[in-house]
Amino acid sequence: MVRTGKTKQQGTARRVQLRLRIGLGIMLTLLLVVGGQLVLIQGFDVGGLAEAAQAKRSRTIELPAQRGSIVDAKGTVLANSIIRYDVVIDPKQNTSVDSFRRADPQDPKKTIKISRDQGLRDLAGLLKMPFEDVKKAATGTSQYKLLARGVKPETADAILELSVPGVVTQGTSQRVYPNGAVAGGIIGFLKDGKDGIAGIEQTQNSVLTGTPGSRSFEMGADGLVIPVAPDHITPAKNGRTVKLTLDSDLQYYAQQVIQTQVNNLGAEWGSVVVVEAKTGKIVAMADTNTPDPNNPGGVDAKDRGVRSVTAALEPGSVEKPLVAAALLEEGKSKPMEQFSIPNSYTVNGQTFEDSFSHPTFNRTLAGILGYSLNTGTVMAGQRLSKQERYDWLRRFGIGQAPNVPLPGVAGGILSKPDQWDGRQEFTVLFGQGVSQSVLQTVMAYQSIANDGVMLEPRLVDGYINEDGTEEKAPTGPSRQVISKSTAKQTRDMLESVVTEGEWKDAAIPGYRVGAKTGTSESPCDNGRPGFCGYTASIVGMAPMDNPQYIVEVLVQRPQDKIFGIDGADIFRSVMGQVLRVNNVPPSTGKPVHLDQFGPGGSSGTGK
Amino acid sequence: MSSVTTRPAIRTVGNTARKLATPAPQPAPRKRTPLVVVPSAPRRKSVVFVASCFAVLAAALVGVLLLNIQLSQGQYDMVALKAQQSTLTKKNQELSQEVQNFNAPQNLAAKATAMGMVPSAGQGQIDLDRSTVSGKAVAATKDEKAKSAIIAAPAIAGQLSVVPSSTEDQTTTDSAQKKPAESKTTAQAPAVPQVPKVQLNGGTVPAPAQRTPGN
Repeated sequence: MVRTGKTKQQGTARRVQLRLRIGLGIMLTLLLVVGGQLVLIQGFDVGGLAEAAQAKRSRTIELPAQRGSIVDAKGTVLANSIIRYDVVIDPKQNTSVDSFRRADPQDPKKTIKISRDQGLRDLAGLLKMPFEDVKKAATGTSQYKLLARGVKPETADAILELSVPGVVTQGTSQRVYPNGAVAGGIIGFLKDGKDGIAGIEQTQNSVLTGTPGSRSFEMGADGLVIPVAPDHITPAKNGRTVKLTLDSDLQYYAQQVIQTQVNNLGAEWGSVVVVEAKTGKIVAMADTNTPDPNNPGGVDAKDRGVRSVTAALEPGSVEKPLVAAALLEEGKSKPMEQFSIPNSYTVNGQTFEDSFSHPTFNRTLAGILGYSLNTGTVMAGQRLSKQERYDWLRRFGIGQAPNVPLPGVAGGILSKPDQWDGRQEFTVLFGQGVSQSVLQTVMAYQSIANDGVMLEPRLVDGYINEDGTEEKAPTGPSRQVISKSTAKQTRDMLESVVTEGEWKDAAIPGYRVGAKTGTSESPCDNGRPGFCGYTASIVGMAPMDNPQYIVEVLVQRPQDKIFGIDGADIFRSVMGQVLRVNNVPPSTGKPVHLDQFGPGGSSGTGK
Repeated sequence: MSSVTTRPAIRTVGNTARKLATPAPQPAPRKRTPLVVVPSAPRRKSVVFVASCFAVLAAALVGVLLLNIQLSQGQYDMVALKAQQSTLTKKNQELSQEVQNFNAPQNLAAKATAMGMVPSAGQGQIDLDRSTVSGKAVAATKDEKAKSAIIAAPAIAGQLSVVPSSTEDQTTTDSAQKKPAESKTTAQAPAVPQVPKVQLNGGTVPAPAQRTPGN
């Protein structure tokens, strides 16, 4: 009996053991499965789940760069990018709902029910659009409809508060030009709000456009950035600010003055250019009918450029001082050399006359300039060989486009001396048969004003970085065109034009002024032969004891008052304003009065 | 356990059998000490230890939770601050724009004219170093109103314009800019709010009254 008890006990014990072992085995197997899966997923990443999750979380967004602004010499903003919003609606979504809920303005915790029409009515009210137009735009099956462009941020916020279904606002950048048409052609404008297609916006586009940055981060399902995840930011490099040499107030003044003159004279167009003699900086460059970059389509396409640099015209008598300077430098004449000048002068079978008939009289070289005699100029200028005439004009920058950062800069036309016909070789001496832009004329006179050193014209003063540091634009090379004494003698002759010569109207009280006028026949446009109308110009510098500024006023094809001297009022007011605004001290010393006639007077016997 | 079986001792019958050396009688099997449950000594209470373990664990978990809450809160704060920065930037831009608009030379000149100011006629110069007066300073006269051209105000939507429409002969600028500006503005009218008609500088529209800023 004991035996059976012993076996039974043993049997039970073994069964218990077996169950325990089986249970343990199952647990270990399950553990193995879990552990194995863990190793597979975490260790070997079978199935690329970690990568897929990472890819789903990660976002890379582009950080747009802000376009740099354009400022003038004093820091006045001429062009600026501002934040604006486009209001976009999803008609499909909007049509599908009859009413929606909006936060109750009285109690933000509650919501009130608004009908679709009421929502659209509110929207139309904010956008100042008629309700029917808004409703029409909001109805349909498309998923995108632009409702409004360039909405102010406050209005955009108010629109979002309305919670109209399907309405979203998209932030954009809009370019505004706070000064409008003042310096409008020089500043230029953008195409599609992105790239400049005129003026400084075009030529400095690469500086103004920055480099977009990027940000890569991880975002959770709630739309919030996961703070502990890697967050790499490459900051956007905003465009740099371009600082011009212009003075907006003087630019406005000059624009208004030339526009008035052109309107009064019924002329085609006009231009005023003011340049600093010692630095070559362009202080004002005014054209008529300048575009307002906020609305460039408001003027004709032909008005959207900067005529002061793109239009090449025959300069006329303003070229004569350059020839006189060349004669002085070559030692082929002196300011006091007397010439006996007939009414009409014939050389090589070509006859030249003056703008007024006169008996044969005596004039010095200074008097030839003072009375703007074509005959005298040919008489003296023919002492230069054809090649010398060409070389000297080239030295003064004629025939070469000045280095100005504007599109379409004209170099004018100065043909090679071997291409000159029998008449042209003499007419170039008094500025016909050669063409140049207003800026080229001004820069040639700048060398005379600056003791013979010609500088490159400067329109861009420098660049301002984001941190406020300024970087000056590189200055071009300067070159000595004429010697200092030649420049002084030429300046004396120019001053005598005003003090002694025919053009006393150009005088400015308190300052010594030197000037020269030009009235040239303007060749017809569109390839028609012959001449149509006149180009009246006057260019001068002040103060003559130490010239600071050069001003040229040009009027193209005035209907009335075609002479250059008729621009003297404009010249006087612009030059006077420039001198006053820049606090140029009044002239000291005696004004120069070079003898216009020479020994024996106008009709005395010459040497 | 198996009981110890007792072997009976070898009996001797008669004396035929040799007297065997009888093994020494085995000592009586030791009696096992009867097993009794011994009340064990009272164990020291280590609940404190366990509890402190749990407390440390809980504290660690709570600490991690708080840290995460702070991080997320910081993230929300950052979003809110960024939104505030954005709002302030926009406000700044609005105000700067207004200032620039007032500074625009056309608007300044127009406001001055509206106030009755006229351009100066002639200028003189006072040299303090030399105590000299030069130039020909002439007092400006009230009817010094030349028919000067009007440069239109900047055509920026939503900005006030004080440049009056020219009531005299239409200047080419105005007429050239008026028509396209009109068509552009009417095309834009559905798009842009608050475009004052005064920006058209229309020749037949009477000059607008001066508006106060902020309108």
